[in-house]
Amino acid sequence: MRRVGPRSWMSHAYSVAEFVLPFLIIAGLWELLVRAGAVTSPSFPAPSTILVKLWTLATGRGVLWKHLSESLYRLAVGYALSAGAGLLLGTLLAMQRTLREMFAPILSLLISVPTIAWVPVFLIILGLGDRTVIMAVFLGGFFAITYNTIRGIEMVDENHVRAARIMGASGPRLFAAVLLPGSLVSILTGLRLGIGYAWRALVGGEMLSAMISWGIGKMIYQARFWNDVVAMFVGLMIIGVSGLALDRGLLRWLERATIEKWGMLTEG
Amino acid sequence: MAGEGNDREVGYADGRVATVSSYIIEMEKVGKVFGADKRRVTALKEVDLRIPAGEFTVLIGPSGCGKSTLLYLVAGFERPTEGRILLDGSPITKPGPDRGFVFQEYALFPWRTVLGNVMFGLLRNGWSRRDARSHAMDYIRLVHLSGFEHAYPHTLSGGMKQRVGIARALAYDPKVLLMDEPFGALDAQTRKLMQQELIDIWQTTKRTVLFVTHSVIEAVYLADRIVVFTARPGTVKGSVPVDVPRPREYTEERYLDIRHSVLDLLEEEVMKGVRAQSESLTE
Repeated sequence: MRRVGPRSWMSHAYSVAEFVLPFLIIAGLWELLVRAGAVTSPSFPAPSTILVKLWTLATGRGVLWKHLSESLYRLAVGYALSAGAGLLLGTLLAMQRTLREMFAPILSLLISVPTIAWVPVFLIILGLGDRTVIMAVFLGGFFAITYNTIRGIEMVDENHVRAARIMGASGPRLFAAVLLPGSLVSILTGLRLGIGYAWRALVGGEMLSAMISWGIGKMIYQARFWNDVVAMFVGLMIIGVSGLALDRGLLRWLERATIEKWGMLTEG
Repeated sequence: MAGEGNDREVGYADGRVATVSSYIIEMEKVGKVFGADKRRVTALKEVDLRIPAGEFTVLIGPSGCGKSTLLYLVAGFERPTEGRILLDGSPITKPGPDRGFVFQEYALFPWRTVLGNVMFGLLRNGWSRRDARSHAMDYIRLVHLSGFEHAYPHTLSGGMKQRVGIARALAYDPKVLLMDEPFGALDAQTRKLMQQELIDIWQTTKRTVLFVTHSVIEAVYLADRIVVFTARPGTVKGSVPVDVPRPREYTEERYLDIRHSVLDLLEEEVMKGVRAQSESLTE
């Protein structure tokens, strides 16, 4: 049980500190090695140099925010599409046995193709701009969400369905009242995996799409032309932190508000 | 079997007199076979059983005898492969709110509160949210869970969960309450308490109960009539009326007599079951 009050606030602060500490230690060591002259290669800039660069990119002309907001826009559109389509198709395949048997082999074949391998195809079909990147994001999230939705609905406790049916629930009511909440553990896993894959596909897609000039992926790629390793590290840092923030901020919150509150992660 | 005590005669305006059954559940030559070909398992065979309205009937038998399967057939979760089951005169084809079911593992919806679980059946059967709420509250009081209306099931103990299970199955006023080893997962103390409370509830609500157990003590404590099943394929071996006034004491002489006669019937079948099992192992 999670407690409310000062203790839970303390333990929360503690867990944040526990998470941040390893980063501080590694950054500190790294900084020391550079300052002591043990690392002289320009390919390994000191953390302080990276932070200064981050500051200049984030303030002033504000290039960083333009990159980040373009990326987040593509992610939002692509991920929303993949969540919608994945939940819909997953539900359909879980409920229709014949359809599932028809599509399951295709799905398991496609799921093993890395999304980035599709990008050249999209570049030809959809052009060198936004649409290709959004399509990559969509595809990145789509399979994980579809697959986990199917699994979730298939694994709903049979007695929950029986209980609902004997009490008079059927059709869409049965779906909304039992099948959906009953499969939420698996669906949320799919959404979580999906946003991770979508985020990776986004960065890759941005690098490969020539007509795009903004985006975090693009920022790293362009830094290559100026040999700006520091800007690359800033980009990597932003990608890591944003991905984590999306996971913790959005999906972790959803989990807490639903399946964790209902005790579905620990018992049936 | 016409003319038995539970049939009543009804006179029509044209002078005809017909015999109407007052049995709420009638099973006629009910059989259930699972699987096909070599993996066929006959779970039930030629079960004939009639349950009068308002009776508390306990089904007992060796494990694997199909008594739970029979309960599933009455619930409509499964269809019989032979014969038919009538509920209040019409054949059972699917699950429906004229029956309530209490599961051994509770099967409460973890995403709904106690109140939400008990309201579920009411909301599916035309009750307004407001009426459903107050009616559900009455049933929560009946099972002594007042104060826990807004708790989620995972925060409750086993006994409390099963109280919710009983309230949920009774709240929408089914004709029959089907209970599948409902106290099997509880500790001895809680189990005894729940048996007493169930009898209280049954006496207040006057519902027909069909109760499956493998505990003879439990059967004799609860039942108006105990129906003993044979080992697989399960069929009715015998029926023992329990004419002991309630509340019953485990130490009464009459109580012990009945317990022995049920045990005698059962023992034969348990041995048969064990023998059949060891034979199939040595084959």
